[in-house]
Amino acid sequence: MSPSDRTRVDVHPLSALRRGSRGRIVRVTRDLTSRAERLAAMGVSPGAVVNVLQTFPGIVFECDQTELAVERLVARSIWVELEGV
Amino acid sequence: MPCPHAIAELTPKPLLRLRAHPLRIALVGNPNVGKSVIFGRLTGRYVTVSNYPGTTVTVTRGRATVGAEVCDIVDTPGVNALEGALSEDEKVTRDLVQGGGVELVVQVADARNLRRALLLTSQLADFGLPMILVLNMIDEARARGVDVDARGLSDELGIPVIEAVAIEGRGMAELRGALTQAGRARAASRTGADHLPWADQTARRFRSVGEFTLGRFQEWLGRAVRQPSTGLPILIFVLYVTYLVVGVLGAQTLVGLMEQGLFGTYLNPWARAAASHIPLAFVRDFLVGDYGLITMGITYAIAIVLPVVTTFFLVFGFLEDSGYIPRLAIFSDRIFRAMGLNGKAVLPMVLGLGCDTMATMTTRILATPKERLIAILLLALGVPCSAQLATILGILGGISFFALITLFGVVLTQMILVGFLAARILPGERSDFIMELPPMRMPRLGNLLTKTGLRVRWYLGEAVPLFLVGTVLLFVLDRIGGLAAIANAARPVVTGLLGLPPKAAEVFVMGFLRRDYGAAGLFLMARTGALTHLQAVIALTVMTLFVPCVANFLMIVKERGLRIGIAILGFVTVLAVGTGAALNAALRIFHVAF
Repeated sequence: MSPSDRTRVDVHPLSALRRGSRGRIVRVTRDLTSRAERLAAMGVSPGAVVNVLQTFPGIVFECDQTELAVERLVARSIWVELEGV
Repeated sequence: MPCPHAIAELTPKPLLRLRAHPLRIALVGNPNVGKSVIFGRLTGRYVTVSNYPGTTVTVTRGRATVGAEVCDIVDTPGVNALEGALSEDEKVTRDLVQGGGVELVVQVADARNLRRALLLTSQLADFGLPMILVLNMIDEARARGVDVDARGLSDELGIPVIEAVAIEGRGMAELRGALTQAGRARAASRTGADHLPWADQTARRFRSVGEFTLGRFQEWLGRAVRQPSTGLPILIFVLYVTYLVVGVLGAQTLVGLMEQGLFGTYLNPWARAAASHIPLAFVRDFLVGDYGLITMGITYAIAIVLPVVTTFFLVFGFLEDSGYIPRLAIFSDRIFRAMGLNGKAVLPMVLGLGCDTMATMTTRILATPKERLIAILLLALGVPCSAQLATILGILGGISFFALITLFGVVLTQMILVGFLAARILPGERSDFIMELPPMRMPRLGNLLTKTGLRVRWYLGEAVPLFLVGTVLLFVLDRIGGLAAIANAARPVVTGLLGLPPKAAEVFVMGFLRRDYGAAGLFLMARTGALTHLQAVIALTVMTLFVPCVANFLMIVKERGLRIGIAILGFVTVLAVGTGAALNAALRIFHVAF
């Protein structure tokens, strides 16, 4: 993350968040696969509030009243702006 | 049944419209929102319902009478989207809605997740069909502090929006009443917006999120089963209870009661006594001989296989309805990923321990053709069905723990090796692991029993005829000397490479007619002392890896085509015999006799 980003907001990929982190999704990386569309269909899209519940063996988080489990690779494409505690 | 009078009040004169066919209504929605429950409520028909996304893999049709109208209701597999890259299930549903197959769409939604539901509503609206939106599981949503302004949402969309708790029948009368008021929905395309921002904004307008009041225990359990420190002990406990119910109660106690008690003491002696009045020796043998329809076919099907299958489906149904299996997927994701699959494959693999044929059918929940192919191959190759498992435990459990470890070690190694290679050799992609975890629930006894009953009936309907056909085939083969011929042809392989008695060749033929049936044949050989300990281990290993049963083979052909079916059959056979030969050589070199 660049320093300029840091001054503005605290944005991290979901894969780097610790258990108990809360935040709002700001971006889902689009690539050649339909990952972003799949995630959007499950409710994981910019604006949604997430709450990290577990990070190992899989990443489990709550999003829009739904518990979801994803692998690390997927979590890397979900960018979350942390809420100030 | 909710009464249809309500409709009569709503529409002063029930419109008896003349149609060429009944009004066709599709139930569409995200996975695991309760479409099948609503289908059952409307039609009075039961379809398998569970707490696992993707239980419905085929389109089911049923008829319902609503007021003066006869309707055809279509239950569809759950969909997350109807645009963009679609899975096979989603294509099925899209084609149905697009191709003029239905005149009305009832969208079933999980009230907890309005955003996701509205995203689908918006895509559905583009097909231009009259719609109704059902907000199901409204009780669970409220328990989680989520409330939806159904009236406001209805005004916004221009379609009826109904709150329901389908499993208790709440909201069903309202749904029936609303069928005549279905309209074309006003969603993103009508307002010139994209689906996602529209869904996001609309959900925010009509939904309020308050305090979280999910039951403490429910919440604790949901967390405990997915965290490694508590989840692994729970997994071991679950496996142990499964073993107690299926391996001990089913395979030992109930099988003993049925085989020695019911069949050994009563039915078979009676059948023999009755048959002794038949003057023709041929007919007598056909019914109660060594390969007799009653003494062999029915005895195996009912006394040995049925108790194991029934107890397995009971346990499996419980785990499925509780919401445990998706959490198991988190643990198994890494292992399956090495084999070109992902954690979602845990459902077909575990179901395969009950019946591989049924499991092969459920591989449809996997997202890509490559994953489905690998899962089908691994099921055919290495996953022992419940009857086989019972035989393996029955024979090898009596020899030594080391014998059991050897067999499972060899079979697992082969599965992982084949999966690992298949993941690299086969063309295509693996899909991402993205899994919804439904809340942990106490399974409803009624649903559990109905489901187990349905599965057992399915199994009997498929299995018993095949058992009987298999027995008749064996009888005929035996009479015309075919068994001897096959045994002769296979002798060099079976006795030479595998070091087994010639009779084992015959058992392998039976094994193809029905895999568990062959396993039962081995059981008999082992019990009568026709196999040494070493031979039992070799024979069971080959049998476990061996060709799937006829029913499984036919299911593979149905799912993936004849060419792939034959390719899998050939590959698995060569691998099974090759592995058996290598194991035999290795064990003999190291003088392992168990």
